[in-house]
Amino acid sequence: MSLLKQTIESAGSSLERGEFSSKELTEAYLKQIRGLNGPLNAYLTVFEEDATQAAQRSDERRSRGESLGPLDGIPLAIKDNICVQGTRTTAGSKMLDNYVAVNDATVITKLKNVGAVILGKTNMDEFAMGSSTEHSAYGVTKNPHDLARVPGGSSGGSACAVAADLCVAALGSDTGGSIRQPASFCGLVGLKPTYGRVSRSGLIAMASSFDQIGPLAKTVKDAEILFNAIQGSDKLDQTTVEKRETRKEKRENLHGLRIGLPKQAWGDGMSDGVRTHVMEGVKILEALGAEIKEVDLPYADEALAVYYVLMPCEVSANLARFDGMRYGRREAGHSLQLTAYNLFDTYARSRGHGFGPEVRRRIMLGTYALSKGYYDAYYRQARKVRTLIRHAYEAVFREVDILVTPTAPSTAFKIGEKISDPLAMYLEDIFTVGVNVAGVPAISISCGLHEGLPVGMQIIGKIYDDASILNIANAFEKASR
Amino acid sequence: MLSKNDVRRLAELARLDLDEAEIDQRKKELERILGYVARLSKIDTKHTPETEVVSQEMNFREDQDLPCDEVERELILSNFPDRAGDALRVPAVFEKPKG
Repeated sequence: MSLLKQTIESAGSSLERGEFSSKELTEAYLKQIRGLNGPLNAYLTVFEEDATQAAQRSDERRSRGESLGPLDGIPLAIKDNICVQGTRTTAGSKMLDNYVAVNDATVITKLKNVGAVILGKTNMDEFAMGSSTEHSAYGVTKNPHDLARVPGGSSGGSACAVAADLCVAALGSDTGGSIRQPASFCGLVGLKPTYGRVSRSGLIAMASSFDQIGPLAKTVKDAEILFNAIQGSDKLDQTTVEKRETRKEKRENLHGLRIGLPKQAWGDGMSDGVRTHVMEGVKILEALGAEIKEVDLPYADEALAVYYVLMPCEVSANLARFDGMRYGRREAGHSLQLTAYNLFDTYARSRGHGFGPEVRRRIMLGTYALSKGYYDAYYRQARKVRTLIRHAYEAVFREVDILVTPTAPSTAFKIGEKISDPLAMYLEDIFTVGVNVAGVPAISISCGLHEGLPVGMQIIGKIYDDASILNIANAFEKASR
Repeated sequence: MLSKNDVRRLAELARLDLDEAEIDQRKKELERILGYVARLSKIDTKHTPETEVVSQEMNFREDQDLPCDEVERELILSNFPDRAGDALRVPAVFEKPKG
């Protein structure tokens, strides 16, 4: 039997039955990484030794009858903005080229506590800013479906690693679509949980009122297993809340489910291939018994503008910590008048040369929107429109149970196609950012191939109702197989 | 419309060392992005409050020293860009103020 092409579920039951050991499984994945990571560039760091040892410990536990559950012994990949103690954590930036994480992120502690094996850290757009991984300081990651195309971003390395079978499943982070869009481009399931469900302690912050960690997986069930392992309140992240939903029964049919198609999302802003396949996905949901209706989602068209004001403001504040003093890149600045290092020039050179162009662009945009004379017009106004968008989501969820849209306007685009036009790259997020602006959960699930490339369908749920969108996605996955 | 001096000033505020070519490039990009987000100014928000991001059930903790073990201490020290023993070495803080 093949040791690769495993899901968390299939590997878990094989481990349980003793068909292979976690060490054999982990070594098979490490071998695959050695063979394919060169051309794909999915991983920035691979933990050969640590992973093998973790797998061995898992096998020992299992032989004593002390297995820690469905993730014990399962090889996973982690996006490189999530800290794993004692290992290099770059966030895709030269600024952190030599940075060694001081602590485990809360999600890593949780995964280690249930026995997961961490294979390594995956490539990403620098500080999670981008939709293609082209903004990584360590080179672009390739889409396994077509090496001339991007895997999406910013969690492109994690998506590539799962799709190319360089791990069983992975963690990513999603600030404006960075889990869902790469899941869409690589034919995977990607979940952006409700804001507050998963602790961000140990996640290198990008925009704190939007950031959320979540799974990228081959199946909905796998995404659910990973989500259940990492979610929950945490004293180290004040925005996390106690789990308060009740577990709903698994649904095979969707009778009585009301699905809204927001008319603002179903306009002209998508390719024909995407429209056709997502509509076919909607028909499958309808055939399962759901009731489909067009709904109005006011201000949905403004979500991207709100996001591209508030996110850079938060970026400019969050990234102020990278000043070259306590850790990260320090490039000494000499001034002509002084023999000693000049403080201002040391800051400016460390940051100006340590950050890549997209990060510099967003820091400047945020600095502008927060500066005297512009704060009210940009930052304050965007926060007010954000309130209107949140209210619109609350209102539409009184009318329907879930919303369905495409995840991205097109299938995976070519490497280089959008890199020189920042605004075109930002428009990649048009269907995904509203979810982060409103704080609600959403999942992307593959709904077919257009000209050989995967198309993603996005299912958006009510706040804290992550379980429902997982259930519905699960029913869809079964029906579309 | 931004002037080149506005963009230079932003770079200075953000502590980013940019050359002249990049100042020009950033000016063009910022103008284009600001042109796009200007649509927000047309929305009536007279009676709308700003979003409160944190939920009411925010999870507070006591303000207290959290322990740092020897492993963490060593990792923190090993990340210093410049050190003298266990002390962090930094450029002189007091200098002639800029601009």
